[in-house]
Amino acid sequence: MLFDFAHFVSMLPDIWKAFGETVLMIGIALTVSIVIGLPLGIILFVTDKGLFWENRFVKGILSFIVNMIRSIPFIILLVVLFPLTDLIVKTTIGPVAASVSLSIAAIPFFARLVENALREIDKGVIEASIAVGAKPWMIIKDVLLPEAKSSVIQAITLTIISLVAYSAMAGTIGGGGIGDLAIRFGYYRYDNTIMIATVVILIVIVQVIQQAGDLIAKAIDKR
Amino acid sequence: MLHIQNVTKVYQTKKKQVIGVDHVSLTIEKGEVFGIVGYSGAGKSSLLRCINLLERPTSGNILVDGTDLTKLKGENLRRARLKIGMIFQHFYLISQKTVGENIEFALKAAEMPSNRIQARVKELLAMVGLEEKIDVYPAQLSGGQKQRVGIARALANNPSILLCDEATSALDPKTTLSILHLLKRINRELNITIVLITHEMNVVKEICDRMCVMQDGKVIEEGSVYDIFANPQEPLTNEFISSVVSFNIPEAVLKEVKGQVVKILFKGKVAGEGIISDTIQQFNVQGNFLHGTIEYIQEQPLGIFIMELLGQTEDIQKAIAYIETRGAHVEVLHNAI
Repeated sequence: MLFDFAHFVSMLPDIWKAFGETVLMIGIALTVSIVIGLPLGIILFVTDKGLFWENRFVKGILSFIVNMIRSIPFIILLVVLFPLTDLIVKTTIGPVAASVSLSIAAIPFFARLVENALREIDKGVIEASIAVGAKPWMIIKDVLLPEAKSSVIQAITLTIISLVAYSAMAGTIGGGGIGDLAIRFGYYRYDNTIMIATVVILIVIVQVIQQAGDLIAKAIDKR
Repeated sequence: MLHIQNVTKVYQTKKKQVIGVDHVSLTIEKGEVFGIVGYSGAGKSSLLRCINLLERPTSGNILVDGTDLTKLKGENLRRARLKIGMIFQHFYLISQKTVGENIEFALKAAEMPSNRIQARVKELLAMVGLEEKIDVYPAQLSGGQKQRVGIARALANNPSILLCDEATSALDPKTTLSILHLLKRINRELNITIVLITHEMNVVKEICDRMCVMQDGKVIEEGSVYDIFANPQEPLTNEFISSVVSFNIPEAVLKEVKGQVVKILFKGKVAGEGIISDTIQQFNVQGNFLHGTIEYIQEQPLGIFIMELLGQTEDIQKAIAYIETRGAHVEVLHNAI
């Protein structure tokens, strides 16, 4: 039988636990990537050529680090970061441990998306605020962030969706969550029911997040 | 007073240097409306942006009331910019902030105490006639209304100079006129110096006191708008003026003429006197009007007529001499006799 409903119901507590773990690791990674990635994205933008904090040195270094992390395949990053994970959370197993490498992967990803979102703002609007005599900090707070608000929401949506995919990968090396369930039951034990259930759950999560993201982005845009 | 002293702006591209502004010197008096005219690429926009150092001049100085802006940096430059308002062709309002918040932004830049901000925002919106739009987002405004918000924002911190970067070029003729009247009123009421750049001579004719024409980064002609309209020196200036006041007589008409074709220029009050009818009565000549207009530049009449004068060469010469003694300027364009 392809899908055993009774088996699915009996596994519900496990699925629910896995779902909670996935939410936990994505939640931590998302928070960290916003807290660090947003300022990083802003710095990447304002240190660019022709902007008010133009600084080739800072821009070059940050850009290099961001590119470097983004060029490492996530599965390898997971393993490479084991020592760091061990240092921070004293373990390399479980959702909290997985959220360390998830965060490290998501920060540069989100930062680049923020940088691109800021790049979409009409340079004239930034120039007009310079002409008005605004301080750089005011320009960031009252021009860049509000003008990019909608695109930043889209960037968060995209980051969450990428984190869902990454979290499933983290599950394969002991991170827990939906991915872990899919590997242990669906792959190692040929348990189609769990395999299908996890895939459906992942599809639903991604759809819901994308829809919600689009809706919010549209609702807050005043253009 | 605004002094632009020997300003040059060179743009460095990968392959070559492009000279945007080439050794330009201008003096613009307090309370004056000064127009910079030129085709796109003439360097007028670069020059305007050099005034508030949105672009730093490669060499030369910008003196605003005695302070050399090119010597300022960072915080000092920012403070100097509070006193130089600027409006743009595409308005450049913050799209995610309401009209009120856009103006508030300028006031916050000048660190106005928050308890005074709302009153000032209302005062500024009243000045541009948009009080009821305070909570509206820019996307819901028409072009003319957006520019009014731009003007209110530019005036927020009582600047001494207002820079207008093609401020009416994106607007329809009727809206253009209403924005120009608003600018003129602001100029009179607040005694604010206005420097505007445009490629439309109508704009200059409507509100400018003095003007200059730019070509290839250089100022090729400068003077009062009236004098330049009356007597343009450079071919390019002539070209711009003929976009407003055209005197092209069709070839077919010129072929038909039998006498002398003269262009008669009446300046100021002279335009109102009956010089032509006096001339025709006193001398044995006949006159046919081929073209004519009276332009009001800054409310001063400038009459330009093109006539065919018929009669004996001697009589025509006497008639021309007479017209000139009455204060008009005569130029013979064509002689078929």
